[in-house]
Amino acid sequence: MIEVRDLVKVFDTRGQVVRAVDHVTTQVAKGEVLVVVGPSGSGKSTFLRCLNGLEQFDEGTVSIDGLSLADPKTDINAYRREVGMVFQHFNLFPHMTVLENLCLAQKIVRKRSKKEREQKALALLEKVGIGQKANEYPSRLSGGQQQRVAIARALAMDPKVMLFDEPTSALDPEMVGEVLDVMKTLALEGMTMICVTHEMGFAREVAHRVLFFDHGKLLEDSPPEQFFTEPRDPRAQAFLRQVL
Amino acid sequence: MIKHKKAQWPWHGLTALVLVGLAVALFYATSLISYEWRWNRVPQYFAYQAEDVQRAAGNGTVEAIDLQGKMARVTLKDEDGDQQVLSVAQDSVRVSQGDDVSEGDPVGVTRHWAAGPLAWGLWATVWISVVSGVIGLFIGLMAGLCRLSSNPTLRDLSTVYVELVRGTPLLVQLFIFYFFIGTVLNLSREFAGVAALSLFTGAYVAEIVRAGVQSIARGQGEAARSLGLSAGQSMRHVILPQAFKRVLPPLAGQFISLVKDTSLVSVISITELTKSGREAITTSFSTFEIWFCVAALYLLINLPLSHLASRLERRLAQSD
Repeated sequence: MIEVRDLVKVFDTRGQVVRAVDHVTTQVAKGEVLVVVGPSGSGKSTFLRCLNGLEQFDEGTVSIDGLSLADPKTDINAYRREVGMVFQHFNLFPHMTVLENLCLAQKIVRKRSKKEREQKALALLEKVGIGQKANEYPSRLSGGQQQRVAIARALAMDPKVMLFDEPTSALDPEMVGEVLDVMKTLALEGMTMICVTHEMGFAREVAHRVLFFDHGKLLEDSPPEQFFTEPRDPRAQAFLRQVL
Repeated sequence: MIKHKKAQWPWHGLTALVLVGLAVALFYATSLISYEWRWNRVPQYFAYQAEDVQRAAGNGTVEAIDLQGKMARVTLKDEDGDQQVLSVAQDSVRVSQGDDVSEGDPVGVTRHWAAGPLAWGLWATVWISVVSGVIGLFIGLMAGLCRLSSNPTLRDLSTVYVELVRGTPLLVQLFIFYFFIGTVLNLSREFAGVAALSLFTGAYVAEIVRAGVQSIARGQGEAARSLGLSAGQSMRHVILPQAFKRVLPPLAGQFISLVKDTSLVSVISITELTKSGREAITTSFSTFEIWFCVAALYLLINLPLSHLASRLERRLAQSD
């Protein structure tokens, strides 16, 4: 479903060239859950952002169901409709209520009727457990609630795949669980997901594959049982010793 | 340390006392130069009783004068026997019964209220401010967005515009516009004045808009784009509403400045509030009174404006 081939992203800051993503090749099948781990600065977030074109890459191809980001004829907005993204800092629109946050893109991009989009929004809010907060502004919600709204907002577009960029890193510890629960439910329902996260428990429990990045390179791609018990790459071994 | 709550009203009382003291000092200072305060001369410059002279239509005699309250009905009869009835103010009747009148002779006047120069000046200042403000806001929004554009030409042009306008005095710009638009394009002085003020305001609004848009966290635009909104849609629905809320105070300040800057168009002979004030002084000699009135009239526009801005700000803050 998702195909990444020879992806290269170079950051050039005042002559200092850093390969944030260095020749990464991988595929994701429909319904698969991938967890991307690695030390900070390893390029895992950049890799994720390349998948929906928030970061423009320098070489290689990224395609979802045949729609390729490397093809200049591809309508980037049509592509992004199919890819939901959840950010570390939620990025809810603070000047809109929760309901309006969920309805904006449905209205403008999907051109759904008012009744249709509100029905969808309320159903999704119910699903992530905050149906009663529909008319609140985001600033009145806790971090965990805001992140659940952000997940619902992305789901409202009926994406084929969901990208999570460290969704629990900015949360107070007691709120991490509620967000991970929503993600688990989503994974069990068969959503294709790629999650950058430091939650090793989540990776072990939910992921079908764990991808380990360091210095922009994809060093290990294996099922969680194997990754957590006998990682092949020495840097993955060192990383696991530090985080576990 | 425990915070003690102190009564506020004695301090407000002191403020009032200071203000009264300043007024007394001013009055004393003007009495030293034996300035005579004549506030009674001022109201006529806001509104006065205009008089229209009523004249006889032909040669003839005054047949009758009927008094009706404050009005008088004067009936004239000309040589052909035709009657002419004029209704004039009773205290202005210049003829008596049996008088001979010639064609064009004044019989009396009718009176009606008319707006004085200060009222007309106030109106001119208000419409010039409103029109320049609306056009300036539009220009500023466009120029501000151009400064953030990825197209180098748009970026260069808007930068040149902003720097040129901000780097030269408004007074000089007004003269340039007046002579250019007036002479080359042959348009009215009002057009030149409004054009100069709009472009001037636009340059400042452009910088306010740019700063406002740049102050919105990058994640907002990224979230909007990741949902499939185009760059323009994300700007319109997500970035600009938040930026507008943030730049409301400087924007209000810019419009208050604009109202005051309209006083400069008096140099190209547009009779707005300041020029009307100067004209009123040449006939009344009440320099202090008229200038105080002019200042008060500018306040009359600007105080509600800043009140409106702070109310709008509070209303937009409800999502915080």
